[in-house]
Amino acid sequence: MRLPSVFRRTPFRLTLSFLALFALAASALLLYIYFASRAEAEGRAQAGIQRELDALTAIYRERGADALNAELIDRTSKGGPYLFLLMDRQGQPQTGNVNESPIVGYQGGEQWESFRLSGADAQGRVARRAAMGVQLQLSGGELLFVGEDIGDTEQYLYRLSMVLWGAAGLVFLLGLGGGLLVSRQVEGALGRLNAVVDAARSGDLKPRVAVLNTGDELDELGGNLNAMLDRLEQSMASIRHAGDAIAHDLRSPLTRMRARLEVALIEAEAGRVDGREALALALDETDDLLKTFNAVLSIARLQAASDIPDPEVFDAAELATDMAELYDPAAEDKSLDFQSEIERGLDIRGNRAFLAQALANLIDNALKYTPAGGAVMLRARHRSSGEVEFSVTDTGPGIAVDDRSRVLERFVRLDDSRSESGAGLGLSLVQAVAELHGGRVDIDDGPGVIDGYGPGLRVALVLPVA
Amino acid sequence: MRILIVEDDKEASAVMARGLSEAGHDCLTAPDGAYGLEAANQGGFDVLVVDRMMPRLDGVGMVETLRRQGDQTPVLFLSALGEVEDRVTGLKAGADDYLVKPYAFPELIARIEALARRRETGSVQTVLKVGDLEMNLISREVSRAGQDIDLQPREFQLLEFLMRNAGQSVTRTMLLEKVWEYHFDPQTNVIDVHISRLRSKIDKGFDRPMLRTERGAGYRLEP
Repeated sequence: MRLPSVFRRTPFRLTLSFLALFALAASALLLYIYFASRAEAEGRAQAGIQRELDALTAIYRERGADALNAELIDRTSKGGPYLFLLMDRQGQPQTGNVNESPIVGYQGGEQWESFRLSGADAQGRVARRAAMGVQLQLSGGELLFVGEDIGDTEQYLYRLSMVLWGAAGLVFLLGLGGGLLVSRQVEGALGRLNAVVDAARSGDLKPRVAVLNTGDELDELGGNLNAMLDRLEQSMASIRHAGDAIAHDLRSPLTRMRARLEVALIEAEAGRVDGREALALALDETDDLLKTFNAVLSIARLQAASDIPDPEVFDAAELATDMAELYDPAAEDKSLDFQSEIERGLDIRGNRAFLAQALANLIDNALKYTPAGGAVMLRARHRSSGEVEFSVTDTGPGIAVDDRSRVLERFVRLDDSRSESGAGLGLSLVQAVAELHGGRVDIDDGPGVIDGYGPGLRVALVLPVA
Repeated sequence: MRILIVEDDKEASAVMARGLSEAGHDCLTAPDGAYGLEAANQGGFDVLVVDRMMPRLDGVGMVETLRRQGDQTPVLFLSALGEVEDRVTGLKAGADDYLVKPYAFPELIARIEALARRRETGSVQTVLKVGDLEMNLISREVSRAGQDIDLQPREFQLLEFLMRNAGQSVTRTMLLEKVWEYHFDPQTNVIDVHISRLRSKIDKGFDRPMLRTERGAGYRLEP
């Protein structure tokens, strides 16, 4: 038989264990109170009996058996909790308020015993009340018994323990009920979390946990779960987008290549051409495809990397100088005025190869989009914040403010640049490199419209202090 | 030249062997690092082309063992792992060069030939000569047919690399790696422009151009 779900839940099980622990502790405490009180009551009774006994034996010693007898008669007639019995040498009762000695099988000396007295309670019912007493053989051979009825004390202890047990039972019931309530509530909250996770597991990333802003752990967990799902959904979307984009960007050149090869094959079979030109073209296109593919892979890896691969601390000024030198002839070839302003001593911590690639991409873009006769400026400097900034400013057509954040995404090529070669991965790679290094990419206006050039664009790669 | 190809992808290895044979080289293939080690131990290879990820013994393990045994045959690593740290691990293991898959075939041939060549010219040279082109590495003077040529420092390095690999193809990536010491893919024709400047200095005014462009491969300095 399976227990109802609530009994199998963690909060309820915790409640149960806690209650069991509580019950154990309460029982131990009760037993302790009971036995301590009992020992205390017995000790008190014993002391009282001893006092009576001492007084009586003193009377006997000093004034004889008759005086003792008289004293006993006096004491029993006054009443009180004490029991007395004086017996002769044969053990026959003589004076006292009990009919016979409750101590059976007296062996001599001072013999203490606990026993029960038969009597009637206030309602006339037979009650066996607890008592204790001592029997002693006097010097004349008579036997003296002194005892005390401790029934009231025992009754009190009994009532006390009943009250304590009752209280414990009540606490237990309340605990059980509270546990059920709490576990039902927690179960509800966890159930809602579970439902969201289950949905996500089966592929539906849309559901979110309702966050109540109570600030408790469950609420916090719900918030974190939501944030995680947001991130997951975002990266899924970007993967989907990248997948679509790759499909789009690779499909058309692949289709073109296939068609060209097919035609070439037909023509070569007919002996009209030798097909070499088609093969050469196909090779060129394959190279382009590989470049696109490698760039996509690099970006994906950079985005997936948790830390800078193979980091080193180096002077970025050298890197910038190298890149300026590398691109200088290409700029001159295109009749561009390419200049650089590089501050000395720009120590940064990063991956040299990726930063070189990023800087190369920035210069590359500027050279590609600036029309002949324009100007491109490479700057590397410290910002007042201490960050290291590489910026490339050109006098090309620029990018509209609304499109600026978009060009950092993968495969985004603005419509008017579709005619240019490239897969639209250059700036995304710069962005990925910047993010990996804890930096950012800033896109701003260039120098504005001058002599028919511009407004231009300024793209900056900003890296944190080494 | 004798080349050992250690690659677990049979098709890739067969295509490579065929291409290298076409280029006039003698090839032997091994399907994994363990066989590769055995074959390499027989000796007589000029260059080893080793894939990184293979069953039994991987490329790194194989080359490390080889180097421990004192075998200094040049090794070209082939790998689908292109990240910088992968390259560094490969070179640390004792490989001499590293080529990331997928690669263009001319790039492979150019690199293999450059490795073998490097081995041949192990002795320290102070003067490089290719045809009537002469380069003095000490005085840093260059002349062709006795006519002095004035080169920028980078042009000098570029020409030095081309002369050391004279008669063989060198690719743009190789030039960027060996002359500029950067490992990345330039989007535009930056290297081409440097080459054409160098060409204008060494070939201008001469009937026979030495610095040739090879379609799909790169450049070749012909004596």
